[in-house]
Amino acid sequence: MRLTLSSVYRPYSFPTLLKSSSFSTLCRPFCSSALSSSPTCVKPQVPLFLRQPIYSTKLCELKKWHDWAKGVAFSIGSTFVDSDNGPDSSLLCRELKWLMEDAVEDHSMIVKDDDSDERVKMRVGIEELYCLWKQRVQERRPFQYVVGCEHWRDLVLSVQEGVLIPRPETELLVDFVDDVVSENEDLKRGVWADLGTGSGALAIGIGGVLGSEGRVIATDLSPVAVAVAAYNVQRYCFQDKIELREGSWFEPLKDMEGKLAGLVSNPPYIPSKDISGLQAEVGRHEPRVALDGGTDGMDALLHLCDGAALMLKPAGFFAFETNGEQQCRALVDYMENYRNGSFCNLEIRSDFAGIQRFVIGFHQ
Amino acid sequence: MAHKTLFKPSLILTLRLNKTAISFSHHHPFRHSQPPFPFLNTSPISLPPTTRITNYTHLWCSNYTTVSTIEEGSEKCYLNLSDEELMRQCEMDTFKASGPGGQHRNKRESAVRLKHLPTGIIAQASEDRSQHKNRASAINRLRSLIALKVRKTVDLEAYSPPRELLQILPPKSSIRGSDCGSQIGPNNPKFASGMQALLDLIFAVEGSVSEAAKYLGLSTGALSRLILSDDSLRKEVNDLRATKGMKPLK
Repeated sequence: MRLTLSSVYRPYSFPTLLKSSSFSTLCRPFCSSALSSSPTCVKPQVPLFLRQPIYSTKLCELKKWHDWAKGVAFSIGSTFVDSDNGPDSSLLCRELKWLMEDAVEDHSMIVKDDDSDERVKMRVGIEELYCLWKQRVQERRPFQYVVGCEHWRDLVLSVQEGVLIPRPETELLVDFVDDVVSENEDLKRGVWADLGTGSGALAIGIGGVLGSEGRVIATDLSPVAVAVAAYNVQRYCFQDKIELREGSWFEPLKDMEGKLAGLVSNPPYIPSKDISGLQAEVGRHEPRVALDGGTDGMDALLHLCDGAALMLKPAGFFAFETNGEQQCRALVDYMENYRNGSFCNLEIRSDFAGIQRFVIGFHQ
Repeated sequence: MAHKTLFKPSLILTLRLNKTAISFSHHHPFRHSQPPFPFLNTSPISLPPTTRITNYTHLWCSNYTTVSTIEEGSEKCYLNLSDEELMRQCEMDTFKASGPGGQHRNKRESAVRLKHLPTGIIAQASEDRSQHKNRASAINRLRSLIALKVRKTVDLEAYSPPRELLQILPPKSSIRGSDCGSQIGPNNPKFASGMQALLDLIFAVEGSVSEAAKYLGLSTGALSRLILSDDSLRKEVNDLRATKGMKPLK
């Protein structure tokens, strides 16, 4: 009932997208008008640390900004922690250090006297640095959107508004795939799918553990996500290995029925009623479509289960991230009772915080 | 599968009661580069030291066979364990936060602290923004610390250097066969096992480099140079020599 494989199939795919967008240009944040359905309009932003150091600032000016920014961070104290379990001063100070690392070209310059008139090369103007830090603290804009990247596993991935910031918990999904393919040559050279790929994190991580013949198809409903994922795929030179397809869940995969060696996803799983109480960085700034999993948070997960039964080849592997113990149990229960016979070796795995986070298993 | 039994809270809780660690702040020379922005150091947030060890004295494996929950015998060869097996013996603090985690949360707390429960040795890494990389750094540091701090008794009467020790010896060693391959240096992850075996021998001969050199088919000078090639190894040997009233190697 949830499968609508035949309904929409979008013809434009990754290669078209690459040709039409210039990745080297500095882009400003998207306005809503840029988010049209045509992918030709979507230009991914270049993360701060990859921009050209075309700005120059006196060291003393940079120091002044830094002191101001630190003062702002300290004025927060535990306000955000108390209101919505947001960042405290110490976390903001750590982010400030990272922002400096990304913004200043030559770190060794900073070692010199603070009041020096000497100039440092920067990847962003000093006025914009004030602006960025205000956005971070006053608007609670996620740090990763401020610098345009997130460090995830051994990757540095470009992220921007409209794309979910990959979480450290999700790193484990790649380890699960690594374990499975290291024992199974057939899966190692098969075709994998990452549904709702967002920044492309899982697809790129999995691309790195598959054999030379292995491929990944990554899908996302959002044209922004597809553009950002394409940018990240290109940065890691995986254009030949990872194919991006725009569309909802299995819709762009109708040619892969019964052929997938593996399927992974970190779908939206937060129950709708919990969205309003989220940490401001998440609730106000990250795409709701990547977070909100419906009434009980299970809409996408159940859809993925149904699709997995159809798309995976015999003995194919799947791994999904969930909201926690309750969803893990519900998912396993659903697979055992309603899709009886489709799956085997179902297992619930915990994340590093000890929360039951993942459901993994194999197709019969 | 590999992650199935990782970090089971119940296992961790029972094990962590077994040791009373002596708190000791200890500087370790593991590549800690100068922070890029010294003026940031005025900040009251002090990041945890990169590595820390809570047990001052060397641990002798035979004393720790009482930790029965760990598979028997594995205490004697921690360094032979795979990263995953070693991690399984560790308590890992990453997220101190409560709450549901996952998509609910956006806090870049990537610092990783590993406590190796059978020995109480702690290794940390916080210099990277990715938790994954910090975890890898922490486990490498843990291996080095285990090599430095966990001693095995050596029977000098029947002593024959283990292969991992032969591999870190210079080619001129008279007992080093050609089948050992080229010499493994301090930057190679396999160096830790050889270093551990070397320290076992040096402890057995109570810090005498010339004695140890005889067992390894090397001149005293050649063994000294090997010891001096790694800062942490040199420090352990010199600490031992100091307790025996011997001059430090320079």
